[in-house]
Amino acid sequence: MDIANQLILVGAGLVALSVVVGLVSSRFGAPLLLVFLVLGMLAGEEGPGGIDFDDFHAAYLVGSIALAIILFDGGLRTSTRDLRRAIAPAGLLATVGVVVTAGITGAGAKWLLGTTWLEGLLVGSIVASTDAAAVFLLLHSRGMRLKDRPRSTLEIEAGLNDPMAVFLTVSCVGLLTAVEIGPGADDVGALATRFAVQALGGSGIGVAAGFMLLWLTNRLNVASGLYPVFAVAMALLIFSGAQEVGASGFLAAYLAGIVFGSRRHRATQIINRFHDGLAWLSQITLFLMLGLLVTPSALLPNILPALGVALVLIFVGRPVAGLLCLLPFRVGRAEIGFVSWVGLRGAVPIYLGTIPVLAGLENARLFFDVVYVVVIVSLVVQGWSIAAAARRFGMTLPPRPQTPPRLDIDMPAEVGRDISVYTVQPSSLALRRTLGRMPLPPGTDVVSVYRDGEMRSPGGLDRLAPGDHVLLMAKVDQLPVLDRLFGRKPPASHGLDAALLGEFVFPGETTTGAIADMYEFRVPARCRDLPVRAFLRGNLIGVPRPGRRIRLDAVELVVREVAEGEIVSVAIELEPDERSLHRLDPALVWLRALLWDPVRERTVSATRAAAARWPWVRRDAGSR
Amino acid sequence: MEISDLITPESVVTGLNATSKKQMLQELAHKAAKITRLHERNIFDVLLERERLGTTGVGKGIAIPHGKMAELDRLHGIFARLDTPVDFDSVDDQPVDLVFLLLAPETAGADHLKALARISRLLRDSKMCEKLRSLDKPQDIYRLLADSAKSQAA
Repeated sequence: MDIANQLILVGAGLVALSVVVGLVSSRFGAPLLLVFLVLGMLAGEEGPGGIDFDDFHAAYLVGSIALAIILFDGGLRTSTRDLRRAIAPAGLLATVGVVVTAGITGAGAKWLLGTTWLEGLLVGSIVASTDAAAVFLLLHSRGMRLKDRPRSTLEIEAGLNDPMAVFLTVSCVGLLTAVEIGPGADDVGALATRFAVQALGGSGIGVAAGFMLLWLTNRLNVASGLYPVFAVAMALLIFSGAQEVGASGFLAAYLAGIVFGSRRHRATQIINRFHDGLAWLSQITLFLMLGLLVTPSALLPNILPALGVALVLIFVGRPVAGLLCLLPFRVGRAEIGFVSWVGLRGAVPIYLGTIPVLAGLENARLFFDVVYVVVIVSLVVQGWSIAAAARRFGMTLPPRPQTPPRLDIDMPAEVGRDISVYTVQPSSLALRRTLGRMPLPPGTDVVSVYRDGEMRSPGGLDRLAPGDHVLLMAKVDQLPVLDRLFGRKPPASHGLDAALLGEFVFPGETTTGAIADMYEFRVPARCRDLPVRAFLRGNLIGVPRPGRRIRLDAVELVVREVAEGEIVSVAIELEPDERSLHRLDPALVWLRALLWDPVRERTVSATRAAAARWPWVRRDAGSR
Repeated sequence: MEISDLITPESVVTGLNATSKKQMLQELAHKAAKITRLHERNIFDVLLERERLGTTGVGKGIAIPHGKMAELDRLHGIFARLDTPVDFDSVDDQPVDLVFLLLAPETAGADHLKALARISRLLRDSKMCEKLRSLDKPQDIYRLLADSAKSQAA
């Protein structure tokens, strides 16, 4: 009994301490996971904590559970839009990229550690995959908003690349044990089959299980608190089920999360909120435990070659892999640079590092220690510099208003909307307009406003006041827009963010010709009277997003702010980067205005005329 | 294009007094009229017209009002500092206390853009703004602005 109690005492104490210390450390910008890891070391056998934890089997078990939950949660948070945007580069990074990284780092390890080629490759494979736990957490640190594509590329890469690393590691371990036992235990065909089962099996199981979970959740009628419990159990079931048949459980859990999270079901809100907390707990537990597991003094003898391996990984392996995998896509140099730099390693490599130990390989402890050093170096060097690197490579966007306090109530799935209660924050955008002119997203209705202890109907109020509680019916996917509307506006954007988005700002309705006259650029005559938002929307390829830009003579117009697909404000960049790829734009702008627009207008007016002549043709046929 | 091509020691003002954006632009137009010998009213109208397109309050307490005047022979700049910051509809809603006014001839073309970009880059440097806020004498401010090219060769 005493031991049970002590375990609870120590475990709970460490987790609680982690939360508090994490809060303090975020002021210094220290990567949170590193803090947990160091805390674990301090609590460990050589720190003041003095806890002697050396059980690799337990570590492997807890690590598996924690990683499965983190990956499932990461999947829940990955939207299908993110997936569509980044699946190709991320997929390449997660396969070819991992092999390239493993190869280069492995060569470095062989040379630095003086091992055999195969052993070097094993070390390379263990550290080859980026870590989902670290990437999901550190890319969302407070106050940082990354451009969409690099962010989703990194996140999806982290979600997808574990099977490749696991496969390489397990194969190397298999070959090494085979060498010890004798040749013939493993051949190339068996390896290929094993990889196919890992990747295809993991994908298949993940997607199928995701749909099944969706179907089950919408049919099960249980107390609302049980839905998240069911989801967790299912996530672990999917993970272990896939592992059991030789497929990648990590891949399955991540994909199941994506499928489940991107579709509406009756418990969306409660499951998301529950999993948010659970993912935190998993991350804290995982890193605390990995901190406990290591014996810091054991790292010292091999510290120099281990540092060398880390440097090879960070400065050669990852950048070469990033360059190779991103070059086939239309990705700017800055983005390649950023993605290559932020190849965060974390729990996954350490977790993989336990595999050779468990397999009883001769040099397994050496490998484990080297891997550990690599991860710490990566967390310190890359984790600490994410924000700086994002600014340096121009990957940040201006900060959004802080998320205001929000209470969500799930409605039955067939309603399609949920009830949300916001508390209006001081200096929020919602205070700038009257209730009647509030820019609410489509499908959003103010049900009532609670002020000074009284319910008011929205019709009886002119404006909202800070501290009002607003009850709304809204679609779940519109909540981010509402968050921005009711949240406190950030005071000022950081220097370089502003630089990224031009010198002067114009509201979307400003006339294009007026800006053109002021800043010495030409626009086709038929575009002069257009609001600048319409001009940009017409000439940008694809959806307008912050940061999209178009070159016009010596300057560039940059989309600065977008809400519900509509350009809110536009900035002008007076000294655009001469190396940028937007030089083709001016020609396209003129081509469009001179050829395409007249043709389209003529077609539209011809259709309208036809509609007027034949009344049975719907009158609004051409009006769109 | 250097800052020293745009301003003279006479075009640096400290302790500009204004309680509103409009009044601030009026004061600046008044000062600019003295330097350029153009009509105060015309300058004010040009500046106001530019503000109607979108604010020139670029954030962090800085504004760069500007406009084009047909009668001008060259680019003219004025740097002004306010003791009490004034609301300027800035992009970040912060009141403004550092102002760099730029007037350009209609024909300035690329020079106009280069000058604006130069000013904007200068005032984006937070250390520079700190110094501009701390110096007492207009001469010192002028020297700081005019020498800025050497210190930041970007």
